[in-house]
Amino acid sequence: MEKLIEILEELNPDVDYENCENLVDGRYLDSLTILSLISEIEDNFGVVIPTVEIIPDNFNSAKKIWALITKLEEE
Amino acid sequence: MKNVFKSIMFMIILFFLIIIITYFLLPRDSVRKYGIIKTSVYEILGEKEDSIDAVVIGDSLIYSGISPMEIWHNFGITVFDLAKSAELISSSYKNFEMAIKSQHPKLIFFEGNVLYRESKNKPWFYVWEELYKTYFPITKYHNNWKKYLFTNLNDSMNYSKINIYKGFKYITKSKPGKKLDYMKEKEKIEVPKENQEYFHKIYELCQKNNVKLVLISTPNMKSWNYGKYLGTKDLALKYNLEYIDLNINNPLNIDWKTESRDAGSHLNYKGALKLSQFIGKYLKETNLFTDKREDSNYASWNEAYDIYKEGLK
Amino acid sequence: MSYFDVIYFLAFLPGVIIIYNLLPKKIKPFILLLASFAFFFTYSKWLIIFILLSSLSIYLAGLTMQKIDSEKKEAIKDLEIDEKKIIKAKYLNKKKIVLIITALFNVAFLFYFKYLGFFKGIINSILKLFNINGSLKIIHHLAPIGISFYTLSAISYLIDVYHEKYECENNYFKILLYLVFFPTLVEGPITRYNEVRDTLFAGNKTTYKSFCFGYQRILYGLFKKIVIADRLNIFVKIIFTDYMHFSGPIIFLGAIFYTILLYMEFSGTMDIVIGSAEIFGIIIPENFKQPFFSKNISEFWSRWHITLGLWFKDYIFYPVSLSKGVKKITSKIKELFGPRTSSLFMGAIALFAVWSLNGLWHGAGYQFLFFGYYHFILILLGNIFEPLIIKICHKLKINRENILYKLMRIIKTCLLIFIGELFFRANNLTSGIEMMKRIITNFTFKGFNHSVLTLGLDIKDYIIITLSLIFILVISILKEKNIEVRESLSKKHIVIRWACYYALILSIIVFGAYGEGYVPVEPIYADF
Repeated sequence: MEKLIEILEELNPDVDYENCENLVDGRYLDSLTILSLISEIEDNFGVVIPTVEIIPDNFNSAKKIWALITKLEEE
Repeated sequence: MKNVFKSIMFMIILFFLIIIITYFLLPRDSVRKYGIIKTSVYEILGEKEDSIDAVVIGDSLIYSGISPMEIWHNFGITVFDLAKSAELISSSYKNFEMAIKSQHPKLIFFEGNVLYRESKNKPWFYVWEELYKTYFPITKYHNNWKKYLFTNLNDSMNYSKINIYKGFKYITKSKPGKKLDYMKEKEKIEVPKENQEYFHKIYELCQKNNVKLVLISTPNMKSWNYGKYLGTKDLALKYNLEYIDLNINNPLNIDWKTESRDAGSHLNYKGALKLSQFIGKYLKETNLFTDKREDSNYASWNEAYDIYKEGLK
Repeated sequence: MSYFDVIYFLAFLPGVIIIYNLLPKKIKPFILLLASFAFFFTYSKWLIIFILLSSLSIYLAGLTMQKIDSEKKEAIKDLEIDEKKIIKAKYLNKKKIVLIITALFNVAFLFYFKYLGFFKGIINSILKLFNINGSLKIIHHLAPIGISFYTLSAISYLIDVYHEKYECENNYFKILLYLVFFPTLVEGPITRYNEVRDTLFAGNKTTYKSFCFGYQRILYGLFKKIVIADRLNIFVKIIFTDYMHFSGPIIFLGAIFYTILLYMEFSGTMDIVIGSAEIFGIIIPENFKQPFFSKNISEFWSRWHITLGLWFKDYIFYPVSLSKGVKKITSKIKELFGPRTSSLFMGAIALFAVWSLNGLWHGAGYQFLFFGYYHFILILLGNIFEPLIIKICHKLKINRENILYKLMRIIKTCLLIFIGELFFRANNLTSGIEMMKRIITNFTFKGFNHSVLTLGLDIKDYIIITLSLIFILVISILKEKNIEVRESLSKKHIVIRWACYYALILSIIVFGAYGEGYVPVEPIYADF
């Protein structure tokens, strides 16, 4: 989880990732940033994120992103 | 139940409000009091009462081809173009009906092209439209708010109080028309029945008001042809009216290469000069009209011509 | 029958509401279906066959793909991992073929009706370029109404079922209603099957609240179009037809008015559409979120025509940027130039694909492609320079949260939008370029006052426009603060409430730009 927060902070340092619950809806992560994020996640965690999972529900908070990564790791 | 009651009350109060506002917006002043102002819709209403000698009723052919200012300048006769783009004959009749309340032209030209225009809408659409215009006259008169609201505004904001073009549209664009044989002989095309009914109404209105009605077909390569000429000739015969077709043998000598603005559909300014000259000459030769260029009551027409001439550059 | 016709909101809609509510729950969706057929018929008559074919194709494809999936699960039941992989791939391929064929089938109709002529035109130009005699004849086809919208909805269903996002629909009539539903048929919003199906087929009754709120929203949309858009159109039409006669500032004013007109007309349509659906208890997604409060172009497109942007994001942007081919190239770039450059590159390729399609979707013409690429470049540049701008602001001690700074960004964005819309509305690309040229080279205010007041609008029209826009602005600010306007209004005293409703209705009737002397706006997005 810390690694994830690290990645997020590098992409957009002005956000409080511990508490923010609307990363996507509040446009803290726009489409291009999400691309970078996905690229980093895939490299660092060895998962492949299918496009159907790229929905606000999965990316609106650091916790939710982590949940997605965990889910994909288990598959 | 409470909700149903509320809804009904809402509608009833709404009705009353509409009726009250309608009352305030119905045209109060008689049309005659308009004086010289520019009204965007019924431009002819802006002309001084009984000042128009002849009116030309038609569609875009008329407002592209007949310039009343040219006729005024050369003959001192006052003409007005009562024409709208793609005008339907039902509309022409209504406009004429409205115009005749303040103007009493001695002669009316009627463009044959309008006789052949059929509306895309089915008749029931018009019936429905007429119905709700009758029961909700506010839909017809709502624009009168402009007369009654914000009237404290400086009226000098009204640029050009004088209508300069008198219904004409000044266009210099030129695109050559190529179909020179558009009047070659073909079978007669009858004027559509529905349009004949409206024409009858126009004829009757002219009879009632002692107006000489003349049918005319102005130069038009795209939508006129010999068949329509024959159909219109028939109609003229039936009502014993004079009919002038300016397409057969090109009596005005229109140079379709330089005198049309859109490949033969409409004349441009150059073509309009020729057509207006013809109309002016025709009107002069009827001896029904006087040359009013020196008449002080028509000074505004001379003023208008000066501004018109400026705009020609 | 347009949504703005009296016959729609005073006859058709009430009629459907009455019949809908008189019949039992299970029949209710069928009433909507019948109403939608009638509605479709008034536009495109027998072309209804095409929407029937489209819906049938995705219905069958959905069932087929699901069957392939269940067969796959059976086949891999007791296999080893290696064998599983091979069999999985085989079935995936089968599914892919179904997806591609059905998608192409639907796109083919869209291409035929909307793009064939343009394509033939391009071929003709190429032939002329190479001095080859002969050209393809271009015939004009009337397209079935809404084809650009329902085709996208259809494809979204196909792709979602392919990805097993949700189960396919077993009831053909539900798929049909999904595509042909009369509020969303003409101009969208482009809905996703799983988002609407809960309320669309629920057969919810109309409540007093849903009826009132629905009609209030419809009124708001009518106001936007009939009072503002139709009024501005008088001026806009003249400018765009006769631009050669006008000075730079007048042409630019025309672009501004057009942008406002477009927003009023399109968002007004959405108000009517969403309000209409609301009356039946059906929730349709929003398509606009105060777009002119955007601080940059990217944000603009997340607030304007939202469902279209989302469609491109989900079905083009991410699939393209995360496709194997692109991923390969980007990993190489990552090695050479670092992660930021590589993701910019990924994004750029995907954005290019999106904006080529987005531009073309709006119309079959070069000016629409230009429009697409114009926004593509703006978004790309925005992303490339963002870190630089943040640095500069840091150095110059500019506070980006400062309200003046935000306002400046909003104004800058609006100006860029006005320019884009000028090209969008221009008769063709050449005219657009000419108009732009005139704005730059002929920027004189001589005769400005005269032109402004003699092109169909007088000072009183401008007063109405200004007052109306202030009203819309106030509502927009409330919405931006997430205040539900209708809700708060419903809590006020009945006299205040009713006064507001009467004011709105009477404003439309009295100040509406209809009747003699006014020509209404042809729905811009409805030639789709």
